[in-house]
Amino acid sequence: MSDPKTTFTGYARYRATGQLAFLLHRITGLGILLFLLIHIVDTSFVYFAPELYDHAIQIYRSLPFMIGEIFLVWAVFYHGFNGLRIIIFDLWKPEWWEKDIAVKSVYWVLVLSILAWLPAAFIMGKAVIENHFLGG
Amino acid sequence: MKVTLKVFRYNPETDQRPRYDVFHLEAEPNDRVLDLLEKVKAELDGSLSYRRSCAHGICGSDAMRINGRNRLACKTLVKDVGTTIVVEPILGLPVLKDLIVDMEPFFESYRKVMPWFINTDPPPEKERLQSPEERERFDDTTKCILCAACTTSCPVFWADGSYFGPAAIVNAHRFIFDSRDQAAAERLAILAQEEGVWRCRTSFNCTEACPREIQITKAIAEVKRAILTGRLD
Repeated sequence: MSDPKTTFTGYARYRATGQLAFLLHRITGLGILLFLLIHIVDTSFVYFAPELYDHAIQIYRSLPFMIGEIFLVWAVFYHGFNGLRIIIFDLWKPEWWEKDIAVKSVYWVLVLSILAWLPAAFIMGKAVIENHFLGG
Repeated sequence: MKVTLKVFRYNPETDQRPRYDVFHLEAEPNDRVLDLLEKVKAELDGSLSYRRSCAHGICGSDAMRINGRNRLACKTLVKDVGTTIVVEPILGLPVLKDLIVDMEPFFESYRKVMPWFINTDPPPEKERLQSPEERERFDDTTKCILCAACTTSCPVFWADGSYFGPAAIVNAHRFIFDSRDQAAAERLAILAQEEGVWRCRTSFNCTEACPREIQITKAIAEVKRAILTGRLD
């Protein structure tokens, strides 16, 4: 027996550390995919509808989009680091799939992704403030 | 101490939808969640249904979701889960009544991996010898009690009930890495199928849920590696 209701009940209500990484990996993956699809569509406007392309670029410069892009960078870092964690554990170090190490690695990946993201977040955040709040 | 016990109730024959019954009980910190269920059944509501047999963590009957995690009710102390305790059936298997689920889909996957000893050589006079190291190789996966806590904690199993699931792979691992067994190649071929080990997304819920502390994700990774390399080291 399996249905979306069971799956989402589990996602929302089951309590486990490993699942945190599993869910973040899926959410960041889907987020990146969504952005990529939008990006492919708007870039294709250059050829198919140049006037729409300019409009698309305007949307990219809007506040929600610029803030969204900051989180997109985190999503890329998280998805990348977590993917590497799984590849390393699965292909080279199956013995690391052990309770203490694996649970800690979930948090390490989270910390690493945030550390790697901070410089980019700072630069992009500065651009948001300059463009939208200081009239730059 | 006072404990609030919220129990999932559902009888598919009479109920439109599940409900949660709340019981306020007096309990000792060292009482087990199973003790609370026994108390409810004996003194408050005899219609409450759940499985339990040995009540000592060996038979694997009473796996259930306790405060959102799969555990054995007979191995979970009240002091470890707090004074508000929510008890629900394990996820992904059809609920027959209250906390009892239909385990047949689980055992069907289990049988598919041929969880028995296969060796076509004539039996030796005494026993089939094995070194302590060879025995150690699969020691961890001999501990499984088939309670289904791992399989029903797996997000992939929730989404696709035909996935063999962690428990079946653990029991395959127990024979694949047994030096006396001769059917490793067949079991690896079964587990290399679409619903086999490659469906595992290493969410690690299974290892966290196992009441026997089997390193399940590690065992699955070892089976994956054996399929890739063809080696059983």
